[in-house]
Amino acid sequence: MSESRETRLFMISPDSMVTPDQLVRLVHATGKAATVKETCYGCLVEGPRDKVREILAEVREKYPYEIFSKVRAYPCGDPRRCRAQHGTRPGYAQLEAEWETLPLIAHGLRNAEEDLPYELPEEKKQFPVDKFKKVCEASR
Amino acid sequence: MTIKIAQLSCGTEYSSVQYEIDKAARSVGAKVVYPDVSYEDIENAVRRFGFSPKSPQLKLMIARAVSLADQKYDADAVFITTCFRCAEAALVRNELRRFIQENTNLPVVTYSFTERLKAAQLLTRMEALVTIVTRKELLARERQTGLTAGLDSGSSTTKAVIMRDNKIIGKDWTPSGDVVKSAEQVLQNAMKEAGVEFKEIEAIGTTGYGRYTLGKHYNAKLVQEELTVNSKGAVWLADRQRGEATIIDIGGMDNKAITVRDGVPDNFTMGGVCAGASGRFLEMTSKRLKIEITDLGKFAEKGDWRNAKMNSYCSVFGIQDLVTSLGAGKSFEDVAAAACHSVAEQVYEQQLQEIDVRHPIIEVGGTSLISGLVKAVGEVLGEKPIVPPDSQFIGAVGGALLSSGFL
Amino acid sequence: MKVFIDPPNSMILYDLVERFGHEPLSAMAAIQEKIDNIEVDMPPMNVSLDDVVKGLKYAGVEVPSGIRGRLAIWGPMIDEADAAIIMTDPPFNFGCVGCARSDEMVKYLIRRRGIPFVEVEYPHDETEAEATVGSIKDFLEGLQ
Repeated sequence: MSESRETRLFMISPDSMVTPDQLVRLVHATGKAATVKETCYGCLVEGPRDKVREILAEVREKYPYEIFSKVRAYPCGDPRRCRAQHGTRPGYAQLEAEWETLPLIAHGLRNAEEDLPYELPEEKKQFPVDKFKKVCEASR
Repeated sequence: MTIKIAQLSCGTEYSSVQYEIDKAARSVGAKVVYPDVSYEDIENAVRRFGFSPKSPQLKLMIARAVSLADQKYDADAVFITTCFRCAEAALVRNELRRFIQENTNLPVVTYSFTERLKAAQLLTRMEALVTIVTRKELLARERQTGLTAGLDSGSSTTKAVIMRDNKIIGKDWTPSGDVVKSAEQVLQNAMKEAGVEFKEIEAIGTTGYGRYTLGKHYNAKLVQEELTVNSKGAVWLADRQRGEATIIDIGGMDNKAITVRDGVPDNFTMGGVCAGASGRFLEMTSKRLKIEITDLGKFAEKGDWRNAKMNSYCSVFGIQDLVTSLGAGKSFEDVAAAACHSVAEQVYEQQLQEIDVRHPIIEVGGTSLISGLVKAVGEVLGEKPIVPPDSQFIGAVGGALLSSGFL
Repeated sequence: MKVFIDPPNSMILYDLVERFGHEPLSAMAAIQEKIDNIEVDMPPMNVSLDDVVKGLKYAGVEVPSGIRGRLAIWGPMIDEADAAIIMTDPPFNFGCVGCARSDEMVKYLIRRRGIPFVEVEYPHDETEAEATVGSIKDFLEGLQ
């Protein structure tokens, strides 16, 4: 794995009041040598891996349930990946879908961190044929 | 002006071919773009389109096509491409092609790729897309006017046609040698037949691999790739200018299949590197059986291939099977029919599976004059192909027809 | 421990694995390695021809190139993983996880390797979210 660069996206949950601008200022305030690029969903941070991880730790500490993060393969502004060059890449729609789910994940996280119990969803069983037959016959 | 080609695709970035696609587009002055769609658009588009593929990337392709149809995204042409051998993608690719053609005026070209795809293989397609965008009015031309000439400088033969007022009045062909000399020869003979002089010719159109050299030599009004030119020539000759058709050209060295809608091509496949799938197989068979190739066709028409079964399509082992059949007392007609059937099946196996075969089927090129092969193609495809008169002159006819648009 | 995530580009799974103290094995990191290490001006997107050929280890030549290229990225990660998390039926499966056949193959490869894995459902409400995140946390904590 490449040790030189880490490009990481930080995404603000849709139910959060934090703005991309506030997030960028927080990253700058950490004083780490990293490039920060404000985006519609939050920001992109790029720099040496250890510095980016330190920024991640600080962001998580401040906004544990409002900001989520993953690494990105292509560097910031790479023309192959950049939306302005030729429209969005396929992964964009996926990020959008995941973004919508973040409030639920945050809820799950709070629950899990307090070690509260959870119920596994019940497996749906198929409706027995003989019962289905009766339903069909009844509606004849 | 940079032509924007909207790419609707699945698998390109995981087959190492995206760079080749971008490169091919750049080399014809175009740029590949991806229509922007949101997550919500995808769900709605799939519902509206009515085909819900299992692979999400194919759903994304559908949403991008819908965004083009709704004019939410601005592009000049569409390139639809998916992995070769993926059944789900092949269904979506063809239905999206139809959807784009029915709901937009954008030209579309489709392709199924393997990881071996190189930019050069896409060039003719990309060039055709750009031609269709920049020469839309010219391609809509269905009648030839004035006095024009078409020159088709192919890799095996060079053809010339002289046309006046929508009629062919002179034609000639020769095996290709020096590009200019071969063209001079056929043009002279065609002019002689037509009874016209060079100075009377109002416009010249050139196509085929020698098109640039000839275009410069004759100061041609039209210099254009063979995909669009041959399509126009074929539908003009067959009088099928409207609707869909498949043009099959089994050449002496390779074979091509083009699908068209209203005379404009949207997919094209070309085979080669296999003598068993070209006229070369029949040439070798006729030599081995010591008969003329045209007689082979006539014999084949009367025979039944089922009586002389072959175990191989290969021009070495397959032809040996034919000789063995003759030795076993099978009739000459049945053996000739088996040879023609073998070529037709091999073309079907190698090429026609890459495209959606549309009807009618128009068979052109030199081998369309071998009647037994036409019969065999008809049997394999379940429909008798149309062989228009002068079927070997499609490129030259297309050149003469389209160049009259400059008058 | 190295935990393979499926879908391999999921931000939610990547984030959760890191939070609970493990190293996620993701499509992003694998592709980054290819981008950073190819010494040409314009590397091909995501995978090279060699990668697609390497994919033959996981699927035969009759399998479409896009599947072999994808498996060439994920296959070695699954081989390297100590554990895996599979999220079933996520509504978001685009980009590198856009091919349904490849996605099925990945789930199979995880099972075939015999490493510990947990299957969680994509949550549709708060109760389901508690189960999803709770199961992931319990699984990851149990990996020590």
